[in-house]
Amino acid sequence: MTAERTPRNHDSLVSRLQELEVIVCCGSGGVGKTTISAALGLALAQRSDRKVLVLTVDPARRLATALGLKDIGTEPVTVPRARLRRAGIEMQGELVAAMLDMKSTFDRMVMRVAPTRRDAERILENRFYQGISDSFIGSHEYMAMEALYELHEAGEYDTLIIDTPPSRNALDFLEAPNRLTDFVGARLLSWLSGPTRFGFRAINLAAAPFLRMADRLLGADVLTEVAEFVADLQKIYGGVQERARDVYKLLRSSRVGFVVVTTLEPSPFGEAEYFCTRLREYRMPLRGVVVNRTWPDSLRNHTALATATALAEDQRLPEWLTERLGHRVQPDALHALAVNWLELHAIAERDARQLSRLARLGDVHAVTIPLFSEETSELEGLARIANLL
Amino acid sequence: MCPPRCPRRSILPPRRRHRPPSAAGALDELVGKRIVFVAGKGGTGKTTVAAAIALLAAKTGKQVLGVEVEPKGDLAGALGSSGASFKPALAQANVSVLALHPEESFHEYLNTFFKVPRLARATPLAKVFDFIATAVPGPRDMLVVGKVAFEERRRDDKGRPAWDLIVVDCSASGHVLAQLNAARSMMQLVRGGMIRSQVEWIDQVISDARRTALVLTALPEEMPVVETVELHDQIVKQRGVRVVACVLNRMIRAPVPPASRRLLAQLTTGDAEVRARVPGIGSIGADLELSERLHRTAEAQAQRLRSGIAVPVIEVPLLATRTGLATTRAVASSLTEQTAAVSP
Repeated sequence: MTAERTPRNHDSLVSRLQELEVIVCCGSGGVGKTTISAALGLALAQRSDRKVLVLTVDPARRLATALGLKDIGTEPVTVPRARLRRAGIEMQGELVAAMLDMKSTFDRMVMRVAPTRRDAERILENRFYQGISDSFIGSHEYMAMEALYELHEAGEYDTLIIDTPPSRNALDFLEAPNRLTDFVGARLLSWLSGPTRFGFRAINLAAAPFLRMADRLLGADVLTEVAEFVADLQKIYGGVQERARDVYKLLRSSRVGFVVVTTLEPSPFGEAEYFCTRLREYRMPLRGVVVNRTWPDSLRNHTALATATALAEDQRLPEWLTERLGHRVQPDALHALAVNWLELHAIAERDARQLSRLARLGDVHAVTIPLFSEETSELEGLARIANLL
Repeated sequence: MCPPRCPRRSILPPRRRHRPPSAAGALDELVGKRIVFVAGKGGTGKTTVAAAIALLAAKTGKQVLGVEVEPKGDLAGALGSSGASFKPALAQANVSVLALHPEESFHEYLNTFFKVPRLARATPLAKVFDFIATAVPGPRDMLVVGKVAFEERRRDDKGRPAWDLIVVDCSASGHVLAQLNAARSMMQLVRGGMIRSQVEWIDQVISDARRTALVLTALPEEMPVVETVELHDQIVKQRGVRVVACVLNRMIRAPVPPASRRLLAQLTTGDAEVRARVPGIGSIGADLELSERLHRTAEAQAQRLRSGIAVPVIEVPLLATRTGLATTRAVASSLTEQTAAVSP
């Protein structure tokens, strides 16, 4: 185990996040984003009297496990103080966890922005709606931000921490509000649906060849339904666009901070670098980078490297050791020691080179969290990470 | 879209017990197919595994097409090429890569089957196609499998298949189910219309176990294992494509053999002269101990994976390379080693 840094210094990541109302943890899948957001929440609730809500997107199991809870639903659950105390954790504030309910967020958004109740209902009942709200590219990402906005407006918590949905490229949600308005807002769709909005039967003649072909392709019913649905979506365009602007404004404000989580594996690290750059472009405040699961520095120790090289290559060594130790030393046995270590050494070297690239991103506060291998309880492990933040 | 999950008391439920199937021969089976889908949770090494399978097949002289499904995927990069477009481009000897683009596949489809000329991007019609192809989920997913099936059927001017093997680097886990099942979903959506027979044909290609197979990718960590087992079960339940193997990436190497361990202890506690000859041995010992603990954790997860799914698990060790062709080659040779038939 490498020496753990003393926490609570003035320069810790958490001290930089302490006054924020919203913290967004982003990074590609599998880097430990959820664990890091839970640890950030824990650290904040330990070191201040803030009421902190940690939000996760479905599935919430990882967050539940990290916090030692059985299950987390869309209703906020407070992590019991007694349980935290048993794990040796004292809290000043309060730690609450919940899963984002993106489907109902989407429904609420439609209800809010539709001109009439009837319009809202028609949209919600359309069979394409289900598919769109579930799997429209970016809707998950956007809905996370929309839900975050709702919770922030409600003002029940001092700090909201959210881990963004696991997407191959965690940038998606930044573009999500744009894509959503593009999607609902494509003006030309009114060209398809026509001013009377009675489906394509009432449509402008220029669309006729397309519609005939679409009829052959999909059958007439499908297209009529699409056209009607599009006409309805058209009505909510203005509302959605306005809302997306507000969400953007919040994400750019000084009350919000982004934390990029990554490991030093090449592909998530590359995405993290890209992500940092894009946040700058979007003028969204990047407050720090958490580099998770780093190998110990001892793997880059020069003496150890010299010794491992000798074990692998020094052909007189087995004989010399055979004499000194008084029994036959097999070269293979020495070799195996060296090879195993040298492989890890190569990984640690690569990771160190990657880490040094972070400096190129300018003045970014970076925290490294070493690989923990000891089997501790989840909460103890979380407290350990919280201590390093 | 995430399928509904049943609430579970324990995060890793007890799984059915059976003897894990051997990995030997799994690779040969894959390379012998016409279409191989590589699917798994994000960050589990799908792209590298897809590229490695493509390289291995190409080495046997097969003409291989790699298909990149995610708009931000980098299958071309894993094959040492700078990028892919909708038109297949040669990345390595015998390996071409194409990036799937719903809009382009839609145009191609219309052009091939309905003789509809390519529409200018600027026209409102093209945008309407965009809407249907990218916003309404059924057709978009359909275009993924449709294009793959279409490439499978493509013939060169001598009437031979244009590709011996098509390797698909799929979307991240949740979405791949919708894609694999797209043809069937469409059959429900499109009751009439001319597309129906084509949809049926596509479904036949996808669910033909002789032609088509799927490989899962996983990591030896808790969540990826849980999710891989779930994905496996859902694919099996869907009864579409046949799952042939699971590649477990980034395995921590097994600890040193007992003889080495004894030697390590003797060197660490040896006299001053011995320690002077191998001064870094204490540090090496501590690092190997960390690695051993990590291996134990990883092995426990690997064990859960093996007993949770009914297909062979092929282990690929943690590598020190950066992404790209070097990693792909390392993974390819590791796949070969792990799946070589054990001689009696």
